[in-house]
Amino acid sequence: MNERAKLETKASPHVALFATCLVNAMRPSIGFAAVQLLEQAGCRVDVPMGQTCCGQPALNSGDQEGTRQIARRNIKMLEPFDHVVVPSGSCAATIKVHYPELFAHDPAWLKRAQNLAARTHELLSYLTDIRGWAPEGVHLEKTATYHDSCSGLRELGVKKQPRKLLAGVENLTMRPLAGEETCCGFGGTFCVKYPAISNAIVDEKAAAVEATGADLLLGGDLGCLLNMAGKLHRRGAKVQVYHAAEVLAGMGDEPAIGGDA
Amino acid sequence: MSSARAKILQAIRAASPATSSGKGPIGAQAAALSARAAATRPERVSGPVDAAFLTRLQDPGIGATTERVATLQDFPDAVRRYLAAQGLAAAVAVQPHPELLALDWSGVETHHHIATDEGAAVGLALGGIAETGSLVFHSSAASPTLFAFLPLHHVVAVRAETLWPWLEDYATALATLPQPRNVNLVTGASGTTDIEGTLVRGAHGPGWLHIVLIGSTNAT
Amino acid sequence: MTAAFSARVDAALASPTLKLAIDRTTGTARSKRAAAMAAWPEFNIARDLGRDIKDHVIENLEHYLVTFEKNAIASGAKVHWAETGAQACAIVVDICRKANAKSVTRAKSMLGEEIGLPHALEEAGIERVETDLAEHIIQLAGDPPSHIVWPALHKTREQVAELFRTHHRDPGALASVEAMVGSARRQLREKFMAADVGISGANFLVADTGAVCTVTNEGNAELTTTPPRVHIVTAGIEKLVPSTAHAMAMLRLLVRSATGAELTQYTTFHCGPKQAGDLDGPEEFHIVLVDAGRTRMLAEGLADMLRCIRCGACLNHCVVYRQIGGHAYGATYPGPMGAVLTPSLSGLEAAQDLPRACTLNGQCQEVCPVAIPLPTLLRGWREKAWQQGFEPATVRWAVALWRFLILRPALYAAASAIGLRLMPLFSRNGWISRLPLAGGWTAHRDMPSPTGGTFLAQYKRRMKK
Repeated sequence: MNERAKLETKASPHVALFATCLVNAMRPSIGFAAVQLLEQAGCRVDVPMGQTCCGQPALNSGDQEGTRQIARRNIKMLEPFDHVVVPSGSCAATIKVHYPELFAHDPAWLKRAQNLAARTHELLSYLTDIRGWAPEGVHLEKTATYHDSCSGLRELGVKKQPRKLLAGVENLTMRPLAGEETCCGFGGTFCVKYPAISNAIVDEKAAAVEATGADLLLGGDLGCLLNMAGKLHRRGAKVQVYHAAEVLAGMGDEPAIGGDA
Repeated sequence: MSSARAKILQAIRAASPATSSGKGPIGAQAAALSARAAATRPERVSGPVDAAFLTRLQDPGIGATTERVATLQDFPDAVRRYLAAQGLAAAVAVQPHPELLALDWSGVETHHHIATDEGAAVGLALGGIAETGSLVFHSSAASPTLFAFLPLHHVVAVRAETLWPWLEDYATALATLPQPRNVNLVTGASGTTDIEGTLVRGAHGPGWLHIVLIGSTNAT
Repeated sequence: MTAAFSARVDAALASPTLKLAIDRTTGTARSKRAAAMAAWPEFNIARDLGRDIKDHVIENLEHYLVTFEKNAIASGAKVHWAETGAQACAIVVDICRKANAKSVTRAKSMLGEEIGLPHALEEAGIERVETDLAEHIIQLAGDPPSHIVWPALHKTREQVAELFRTHHRDPGALASVEAMVGSARRQLREKFMAADVGISGANFLVADTGAVCTVTNEGNAELTTTPPRVHIVTAGIEKLVPSTAHAMAMLRLLVRSATGAELTQYTTFHCGPKQAGDLDGPEEFHIVLVDAGRTRMLAEGLADMLRCIRCGACLNHCVVYRQIGGHAYGATYPGPMGAVLTPSLSGLEAAQDLPRACTLNGQCQEVCPVAIPLPTLLRGWREKAWQQGFEPATVRWAVALWRFLILRPALYAAASAIGLRLMPLFSRNGWISRLPLAGGWTAHRDMPSPTGGTFLAQYKRRMKK
């Protein structure tokens, strides 16, 4: 058995939760849900207090050198852990896919980036694929629909995992979303650099969400969820928006994104 | 040779010093790529090739109709039936192929020039491809290109023994034949989706294609 | 965002018909492609093969160009080389003049559009008849193409009917799309036969035979290239395949990706002029091999993009293209492939918005039949734009300030705390509908008001308890 396989089957891996800057600022409950789920899945969870952001805004703005500075800092901070878990497909993909690309010409850092990449996981796929965890005794008498955020879906292959987990929530009825794999128009800085185009895209997405008639819209990436929740609210829709981790942690009855606290 | 040629080739050499020459002779690399194609084909042509050809042509996206007769001598009858069923005048442009010219076309006015607005033409394909339901024409004195493009109705005979299973089988056969000016693979009737994606037949080429399969694969 | 791009986007989004027109065609294209792929589980290995065939050609481009040239000449073709689009146009116009051409029919070719051939023919006083139905429509409308497979995709059926009513000799009632197609058929019939020169592009150049492959569903390519005395092909130097068999493997990918069919109605290999005994076909057959920036793309690290076979699938699946349409891109090639090509073909500064106006969602790469890593190439342009200072100063300063903070967690935490305390001041019932410095967001959507401080601060407090 190689070292990596040993780590993954370890009874109680030491996991760093990389909460992401958006969760940190805009929706702390996703962080708490993630901690709870990871602990239920048998992990020893640490939240490194020095964490800020994965560097995606710089990466997608073309600022490679700036992203490398951020990446080096995060690699150093996260190296001591068995696993790094991120409640966001796009931030996980930044570490897992793009950090190694950034150091293609720097062998020493490339090795460290690859090493970290191999141990970094998106939360929902980590729970199912690595920890074999499933919800037990979680009830929610609601209908919900699911949007596949693009980075998680296409860069990390997150598709079946959230559905498998949500199927384990008692009394939760899932409804299919037309165009569930179509981008919601968030795109990080895209949504503020090209607001009119982003708006046209998210308007179409919001209409598709409303057409499902579901009570809840769930997803795995807060950026996209904020975008869709903000548009749904502006349109006057009653759909409530949560990160899937919140529902899995039994927080589906607590205030939704933008709901009264 | 022109200086543009020299400059373009020089720019290619300058831009891509890393050629694939380390991977062996270019021809061998190309052949290795070709060999991979068989695994990429849609699972389809298994069993008799004529049945696969006719099955493929049932696809409404192709927009062709088919029938089978025993021999080429039965082709004029098939044409007469087709013209009557379509309510067309008993007049056709016959592709100047010696085998077609030798048939008994009595009861049908035949001519051998194709008009710009030809109502119906009859032809004999060099062969067909079962995978895609395509007819193959090679331009020649016996097979002018425009016969497949100007008529509104095109009725084509193709012999079962001239069907190839896959596109590559035809490509292999082509390499052994004299290269014609035009190879036309005709896969159904002309169509367009240029207005709002709506499929309409008869854009510029034939609006109707009727394929008469001659004989069967088993019989040969 | 540059003012020119902004104006084009605003115009596109304000159009009352554009979105409807885009949805009608791209919606059909997406569902037909999906059905074709569902029936072709071998797509993934076929795509790898398609990628490898094109890479092999690009790695050995000189070999294949020279082989193609030799075989084309042997078939009786005349081969010309053009470094630039202007050179290519001059060669075509010169051939037309020598042929005393008054009328030229043209079968749709994106390369022709790229190099400005329609304009060059008009300047030379030669009547140009576009024969592809969509090209015919935009010629009547005086529009540039808005899609590489459906150039008139931006026109609704009502608009097409109006154009035909105005310009066609015998339009009839035009009550249906069928009637419109019929009117175009009647209008163009004699033009095909009367033309002196026919011009086409090439979907593939077959090296070992010297043949030029074109694909159409209408049959206009063959009617364009067969009756006139002269046939001219303009083709990019990246269009080569080693043999007819390789072309077949590529055709499986191209057609399913473009229209969802398995093969186009008419797939033709044109090889040389009329042969002895042939009853039809041109007396002269010219092939113009055009560089126009392709060797520069090789040198610039865009070799992956030279695999592109112009199927249009990335356009049909692009959320941005589907909102703003092709004209907003301000270039011959729109959508994701256009956003990669245009900065190379016409300069990054002018085209800097195109790689940026993209959510990097990756669906274009997913549907690409030759596995072009479009998001990676678009990121590459963003890096160049950043290095060359094309990002506006406000963005550069904002990124610099943000980076300064996120490299300093204590400062970052303090700044976040201040921000999170200020935001609720703008909120009503948990939502913010207008927020300073976030107008791009709140112009179109609300922002949930954060509550209770950052996750890290809250977590720290809980751990202390």
